[in-house]
Amino acid sequence: MRFLESYIRKVDAFNRRVGRFAMYLIFALMGVLFWSSVTKYAGSPALWTLEFAQFIMVGYYLLGGAYSMQMGDHVRMDLIYGMWSPRRKAAIDSVTVLFLIFYLCVLLYGGISSTTYAIEWGERAHSVWRPYMWPVKVIAVIGILLMLLQTIAELFRDILFLRGVSVNHASEAAL
Amino acid sequence: MSYELIALFMFAAMMALLLTGQRVFGVIGAVAVIAALPLWGTGGVEIAFTQSIKLMKWYPLLTLPMFIFMGYMLSESRIADDLYRMFHVWFGPVPGGLAIGTIFLMVVISAMNGLSVAGMAIGATIALPELLRRNYDKVMITGVIQGGSSLGILIPPSVVLVLYGMIARQPVSQLWLAGVFPGLLMAGLFILYIFVRCQLQPHLGPPLPKDERDAITWKERIGLLRAGFLPFMIFFLMNGLFLMGYTSLVESSAVGALASMAAAFIKGRLNREVMENVMRKTLGISCMFMWIILAALCFGAVFDGLGAVRAIENFFLGQLGLEPWHVLILMQLSFLLMGTFLDDTAMLVIVAPLYVPLVKILGFDLVWYGILYTITCQIAYMTPPFGYNLFLMRAMAPPEIKLRHIYQSVIPFVAVMLLTLVIVMMFPEIALWLPEQFRGQLRG
Repeated sequence: MRFLESYIRKVDAFNRRVGRFAMYLIFALMGVLFWSSVTKYAGSPALWTLEFAQFIMVGYYLLGGAYSMQMGDHVRMDLIYGMWSPRRKAAIDSVTVLFLIFYLCVLLYGGISSTTYAIEWGERAHSVWRPYMWPVKVIAVIGILLMLLQTIAELFRDILFLRGVSVNHASEAAL
Repeated sequence: MSYELIALFMFAAMMALLLTGQRVFGVIGAVAVIAALPLWGTGGVEIAFTQSIKLMKWYPLLTLPMFIFMGYMLSESRIADDLYRMFHVWFGPVPGGLAIGTIFLMVVISAMNGLSVAGMAIGATIALPELLRRNYDKVMITGVIQGGSSLGILIPPSVVLVLYGMIARQPVSQLWLAGVFPGLLMAGLFILYIFVRCQLQPHLGPPLPKDERDAITWKERIGLLRAGFLPFMIFFLMNGLFLMGYTSLVESSAVGALASMAAAFIKGRLNREVMENVMRKTLGISCMFMWIILAALCFGAVFDGLGAVRAIENFFLGQLGLEPWHVLILMQLSFLLMGTFLDDTAMLVIVAPLYVPLVKILGFDLVWYGILYTITCQIAYMTPPFGYNLFLMRAMAPPEIKLRHIYQSVIPFVAVMLLTLVIVMMFPEIALWLPEQFRGQLRG
């Protein structure tokens, strides 16, 4: 029990920090795209902006994913779910979340295998700038891993909630 | 097990799991990878991650966070307050004029924003209390705001068309241009409906009283036109520079986001709290969309691999002996039906990958279908019992507007939208004329 609780708190705090960082990447994205239009207007379009913006976007949504899950931003279909009591929600969630964990595991496995390939063979993008592909893949793998850790934290949170302990549970008031 | 049966099983499993209320992206992704593993073995493991690279390389998707950011920024900047007052003064004397002015306001907001949320927020917080104070009919104006704000996804810029463009592999610039006239047509029909109804039943929308009207001087009226300046600048910076070929689509969205920040700064609203709010919500909504698309791409890839679309086509055309047109109409009907029950975001990413290849096989223009698809989405957003707009409306509207009023209010507006859908189906030129003029000239 104590272990579960400290796990939740640690993962929450860490992902929050990473997510807050990702949140500011939107300005980096804006800046790069703006720079792209400025250099184009000046007559010598920058070659790196497009791909660099894409890399930032990957960081933005994958690194920010766990934080957004913490905030409860991922939609659910609440046709029936919305009518349940907090306890029932937690009980059903802690079973169905296993599907989500499975998906993230497959995603992570694919990510690691693709990243190892990219590092071993020095994979580069097919473009004029020809950036190495491994840095963005490493970021993607980290993002997926954090998402997985957060999902497990959500599972633990529901289990503790069912036992009457709330660690920042969404329906704390219902206890 | 035959491939068709697997496809059917995937679909059924997804529906069942969605009903349990687990996060939508998790359900779609899980069903996809569970189907992929036995089908293709270890090769199937890679399929989920491969989609993230595919997603990364799809350039127009960079506009998504930009437009979400812009939408929240515009509604926080209170740029709409003056604009609303302008329409209010200019249209006030006509019966139902304030409601007509509200539609105009929604068109302007739609032209600066890609989702319906901004229009809804502005409509519910600024226009609705004012209209209630003027004794406008509750039910009618609730419908006005819901119908009007839904124009956000049809009039460019449109996030829904960006997503559609990704799935249908059509240029976003063409899709956006195609949305212009159908959007204006729909707005025009809304206005016509309000005007005619208020002529017949003047108590629904009383005109401004004479003494109040006289109190507004002409100088003030002209002065209020200046309120349109800031929105026009934003519109020009985004759409104008793009259409003249100075910026690409994605660059325009960044320029628009920066312009919305500048507008908030001019209005003195660019403080810490607003920034925090806007950035937080932008991250949340962007992540929600991106993770769902990531999972839906995986689902789509598995579905493609099964050849399910060919099977469906064969069923309709071969076994039932239907004409392509019948199939198209059947598709729209089933889409509408699903829209009333399904979560809208999920529907967007689930239905499009199923229908788009079918439309292509049937030989219809995919740009044109994009517009039909968007209008159908708009309707789905508004139809009870489950519509995104309905819930937003209940959350934002003043307490005297009950859920019953909200449900009742959408009926005539949904009818007008259906009419628009039929008109655009019968006369594809309405959508296709404008993009035809620009074909091959725009980037992105």
